[in-house]
Amino acid sequence: MKALTANRLSDGEVVFWKNGVWVERLTDAEIFADDAGAGEAEVAARAQPTVVIDPYLIDLVDSAGFWAPVSYRERIRALGPTNHELHGKQAEGGGAVEALRQAHGAARSSGRVNLIRRK
Amino acid sequence: MYRYDAIDRAVLADRTAEFRDQVRRRLAGELTEDQFKPLRLMNGLYLQLHAYMLRVAVPYGSLSPVQMRALADIARRFDRGYGHFTTRTNIQFNWVKLADAPDILDALAAVDLHAIQTSGNCIRNVTADPYAGAAADELEDPRVWCEAIRQWSSLHPEFSFLPRKFKIAVTASPHDRTAAKVHDIGLLLRRGRDGETGFEVIVGGGMGRTPYVGPTIRAYLPSNRLFSYLEAILRVYNRHGRRDNAYKARIKILVAALGAEAFAREVEAEWEKIGPEGDVPAAEIERIRDAFTTPDFSSDPSTGDFEARRAAEPAFARFVRNNVKAHIRPGYGIVDISLKGIGETPGDMSADQMDLVADLAERFGQGDIRSTHEQNLVLPHVRLEHVHEVWKALDAAGLATPNINLISDIIACPGLDYCALANARAICVAQDIARRFEAPDRAEAIGEFKIKISGCINACGHHHVGHIGILGVDKKGEEFYQLTLGGSGAEDAAVGKMLGPALPIDRVTDAVEAIVDAYLRERREGERFLDTLRRTGDAPFKEAVYAEAH
Amino acid sequence: MPKLIRASGAAFRDEEDAFVTIEDDAPDPGGDIIVSLARYLAGSESLMARPSGRLGVRLEPEDEVETLEGRLSGVDLVALAFPKFRDGRPFTAARLLRTRLGFSGEIRAVGDVLRDQAGFMVRCGFDAFVPADGSTAAIWAEAAGRHSHVYQRAADARAPAFVERQGE
Ligand code: HEM
Ligand code: SF4
Repeated sequence: MKALTANRLSDGEVVFWKNGVWVERLTDAEIFADDAGAGEAEVAARAQPTVVIDPYLIDLVDSAGFWAPVSYRERIRALGPTNHELHGKQAEGGGAVEALRQAHGAARSSGRVNLIRRK
Repeated sequence: MYRYDAIDRAVLADRTAEFRDQVRRRLAGELTEDQFKPLRLMNGLYLQLHAYMLRVAVPYGSLSPVQMRALADIARRFDRGYGHFTTRTNIQFNWVKLADAPDILDALAAVDLHAIQTSGNCIRNVTADPYAGAAADELEDPRVWCEAIRQWSSLHPEFSFLPRKFKIAVTASPHDRTAAKVHDIGLLLRRGRDGETGFEVIVGGGMGRTPYVGPTIRAYLPSNRLFSYLEAILRVYNRHGRRDNAYKARIKILVAALGAEAFAREVEAEWEKIGPEGDVPAAEIERIRDAFTTPDFSSDPSTGDFEARRAAEPAFARFVRNNVKAHIRPGYGIVDISLKGIGETPGDMSADQMDLVADLAERFGQGDIRSTHEQNLVLPHVRLEHVHEVWKALDAAGLATPNINLISDIIACPGLDYCALANARAICVAQDIARRFEAPDRAEAIGEFKIKISGCINACGHHHVGHIGILGVDKKGEEFYQLTLGGSGAEDAAVGKMLGPALPIDRVTDAVEAIVDAYLRERREGERFLDTLRRTGDAPFKEAVYAEAH
Repeated sequence: MPKLIRASGAAFRDEEDAFVTIEDDAPDPGGDIIVSLARYLAGSESLMARPSGRLGVRLEPEDEVETLEGRLSGVDLVALAFPKFRDGRPFTAARLLRTRLGFSGEIRAVGDVLRDQAGFMVRCGFDAFVPADGSTAAIWAEAAGRHSHVYQRAADARAPAFVERQGE
């Protein structure tokens, strides 16, 4: 599964593609099951250079019933900085945020979990 | 503090007007991101993971109370009530909107601050000794030269599109508190045989992917020839530095490729052609010197109840031991403000804390505040009789952690919590280590100990010159950390050596503790960690970290 | 004809460009031409002996301006190429052409030339510009005149701040 993300030009906010417009929450994003659809969206997004900067596709995995990015960089983008739990999108809390925090994405080497959560 | 004149102010006003127009053109689609990026970077505006980040120059780490309050105000109005002091002695705001950036620059210009050349391939903010003008061991105040360099390098028509960024450090003390030898140019103020002052010129140090301790290319440069010499170095670099690969574009690579001697010959040949025409006249240097406010040192060296309180209050005594340094004048001390509260983000400061420090500097510190490359602040001129009151106020605001140069005084770059280039987080690693070594008696028993953490090989957290350096790497989608031992950014500058395989995040603090324990076992009377390591080599430490690892 | 912005003193005007840049192996079309440094060095005598038309030489950033030392007398124009906006070598080349080689002909900026560099270019000695961003002479004049003070000497006649201050 994939989603399309970028930073908004006017304020830098992390945004996700949803049928031609941009939304701020990953839970609201359009999820692409096939590469063709994702690729088309990416082309369309690139045609909006005064709305967003450098759109790109990210891979998702299932985590507790929500879609979470495979890479922890993308999980941090979708959450906010881990040293300030009230900054960024994570401030909203709720099940989707918890699922992102618990996700272990691509971490296969040791199967460690809670890579995002601080002690 | 250097006082701006009408010309200095006009330069900032013209520049902010220019940037406002560039932002407008970008938002209107007249500039592409590729065209706009170098322009915003030359005004310190980055795009990070969550938002834009604005890097404000704190020229040679000097701030007035008025400026500090303006930073607090910007933190409240345009950010989330805080800022981050960096290893470049600048301050960064992490939550800036592009559309607000011109207003922020105007607010900065109103107090003679700017973000000019805090990024981009140009001459960046000059690093100075944070104790300049106060240190008991300095030859003369290096900030005069720093301000002259700031002016000379600002909007330099020839040297604004160098192969890569360019950082200069100036120090006038035998104790290097600027990391001069890992700058592109390090200038060490010296007294010549004729009694005049001059500089030892070090070129081609740096960190990043290929760390180097810079070689000296000229043992003594008369100070009145500084600017023609800088012009010669920059010209040789601008023409011959590599532009085909960003990782090989710093001057250190050119110096290493040519060899220090051949590089020096090129510079000297160019210098001869430039001649004194390239120098800033002595009268201007004197004007700048006079434009610095001179602190009003009372002739009365009374220290009030300083000694009595020190004897009576162990917590105050501990603060004085670690955070107060010898001043050039009797009856004064240099007070270090720790931005390394245990469990806090290294270098972060809230707007309220900024206001408090501004007040203290005004009431007790001759209106002078410094930022250090170790991400702390300094009140350079505090009467000893006021140190107790300053300490009380700092302590109440969480700014009096008595840990300067100790193991919990950790440098950490923003890492993956903010930075778009990061491999791994740095802040949480610093927080974890600081908590482990929270007990102040233990930290003092360990003594001087510099841990420096970077979230990627760019080395913004100076890990190469940490006694223990910690570098974040990505291993199969997990945060791992590579340890190096034996680096130093001081006068005995050295690049740390890799200890062994990278460790997962939850083993880093244990590894640091194992290294510390091994040091405590091995050390001889009076040895710092670095001394012990240099004597024993890294075998005992390798053993301590990796022995039980399997 | 391609557009050109010319500076004379503080004034800027839009002009038609009379020069044609010719490839190293192309025949000389006559008229005003710009050739590469290599072609110029290989055939400078015949180029100088052209019956009519002016001559320009184009330098890439890696070309050393010093190779033109003593060979500038028949050259009307030196074009300095910016393959990328961020390549800063032509700034040095222009400054040295003016101050060290004493070249008083036209120094033209070609390639990725944007208004945002106008001030720097003028200060380094450029006096003609082929903009890549569609900017006009009016825009160029505004951009180049943006800063009312400068801090350092360059190839222009502007007094740096330290000279202005002495006059106070
Ligand atoms: C978050 C945005 C940042 C970005 C994108 C960034 C980018 C970089 C890059 C690419 C380099 C390597 C340059 C080279 O070797 O050519 C570098 C080096 C460096 N940066 Fe940053 N940096 C950032 C934040 C910081 C911060 C927060 C600090 C201070 C704590 C800092 C201080 C330094 C220092 C001291 C170096 C030293 C390396 C050297 O001079 O060789 N940077 N940075
Ligand atoms: S070291 Fe890497 S992760 Fe840290 S701030 Fe610099 S570029 Fe970012």
